[in-house]
Amino acid sequence: MAIIEAKRLTYTYPIGEKPAFRDVNLEIKKGEFVIITGPSGCGKTTLCRCFNGLIPHFYGGRLEGEITVCGLNVREHPTYEIAQHVGMVFQNPENQLFALSVEKDVAFGLENLGVPREEIRKRVDWALKITGTYELRNRAPYELSGGQQQRVAIASVLAMNPEVIVLDEPTSFLDPIGAEQIFDVINSLNKDLGITIILVEHRLDLISKYASRVIVMQNGQIVLDGNPREVLVSEEARLIGVGIPKATLLYKILKLRGISLNGPPLSSDEACRSIMEVMSR
Amino acid sequence: MSMFDGFKFRSVSSPVHQMDPRAKFIYVCILFVVTVMFSNLIPLIILFLIQVPFVFMARVQKEWMRSMKGSAMFAVIIFVMNLLSLYFYTGYETFGSILERSLAMTVRFIVLVQTFSIFFLTTSPDMLGLALEQSHIPYEICFAFTTAVRFVPVLAEEAQTIMDAQKARGLEMEGGNFFKRIRNYIPILIPLIVNAIRRSLELAETMESRAWGANRNRTNLYVLKMRREDVLLILISLVILAVSIYVSMNVQMPSIIQLLTS
Repeated sequence: MAIIEAKRLTYTYPIGEKPAFRDVNLEIKKGEFVIITGPSGCGKTTLCRCFNGLIPHFYGGRLEGEITVCGLNVREHPTYEIAQHVGMVFQNPENQLFALSVEKDVAFGLENLGVPREEIRKRVDWALKITGTYELRNRAPYELSGGQQQRVAIASVLAMNPEVIVLDEPTSFLDPIGAEQIFDVINSLNKDLGITIILVEHRLDLISKYASRVIVMQNGQIVLDGNPREVLVSEEARLIGVGIPKATLLYKILKLRGISLNGPPLSSDEACRSIMEVMSR
Repeated sequence: MSMFDGFKFRSVSSPVHQMDPRAKFIYVCILFVVTVMFSNLIPLIILFLIQVPFVFMARVQKEWMRSMKGSAMFAVIIFVMNLLSLYFYTGYETFGSILERSLAMTVRFIVLVQTFSIFFLTTSPDMLGLALEQSHIPYEICFAFTTAVRFVPVLAEEAQTIMDAQKARGLEMEGGNFFKRIRNYIPILIPLIVNAIRRSLELAETMESRAWGANRNRTNLYVLKMRREDVLLILISLVILAVSIYVSMNVQMPSIIQLLTS
């Protein structure tokens, strides 16, 4: 069942002359873990903004083609309605928290929806526990590290119980350890709770092992789309400049030297295992 | 250490911190009115003294001392100005009564500082926002208030970063006359404002994504409930108000000088 469906989608910003993306056809199924990558300015962030209606409602501009999210036509439903189905996490964690305590921030969306207090309490605690931020619940957001802030931002989206969570480069402001913790949280949302994940990311080293699908965009179009093992090994991905995981690169180098492993690995663990297998043969 | 540290909220758990911000607000308002009502030294000193146990109850003595020390300079200025103006412009009084009037004005200022310092030291901005919200003030205004408070440290840090960056590029901040100094701040202000506008756009995007404006009847995670202590505080404040009005209308307040000389 398609949870997001776009047909011949083209969008131009109010101040832009040429479209940010053109003729995008996309179908994302329930439970998928999709990574969208590609060089900066390729239109991936803009595409994400369509998934919860920020485009066209917040940004204006010209949107052509069809897009439905969770059965709702994005053009006809306001952002606050779509936001209950699609959670959005942005790049800068600092600008996503506006209350003076973590707990209050996580409750913000639910308060807006008018959820009864006892229910808010339950869902806030639940979301805080899943993202590992329960101990921080009474702290002020500016006292937290970037990684903690971003996990709180995820919690506040999660509390609204969305079917899809879209994350737009959530780790670009974070250090590697913070990034890894974020990826772990995202993975458990997908595997344990069955939430569909759409992740825009450059650094594929840590995350591609979790993904079920990789989409590569270039100049406002989708150029590659498929299983991460196929997409990341392909020559096109390298030419576009996708941040291919080092384990996958190693696979390609070994293949050139005449050593073929069982299949392209996505993480160093996998690479280790298949190299050991080859060596013991 | 600036004087403003004496007004910054300190998260301590004390009976005063847990009080309803609305009750404390009523207390502050009444004390403000009463303080302005009197211009004699004795009632003002009494007002100062009855608030001291409150400070200790809230366990913010250290911060309170800081606000007192910070305001000492202003207090001295107020004292000297009063002394001079009373001495030169109202010739009818004896030096003793002029001294006492000036002292009274100074103590009045100190009592005001003390009252507001107790309020802001023990009331978190979050609670203040909540109090606004539950006093039926439109949510947009309350939200703007808490968000502004939340971004003060962020913007302060950003201003420091910009200042360092501009200094690293050779911007001279110090020196020059008053207007030159103001002009020096333009290269700091422009990036700061541009960044703040950008930030506000991102904030708006996030708010939209969290169903801002979805429901007219917003709920709230916290509710303020007036407890017995809060009612007690309001009652005490009202008693202070009533007694003060009675005293100022019916009792001829003796001055210390009179008491000493008689």
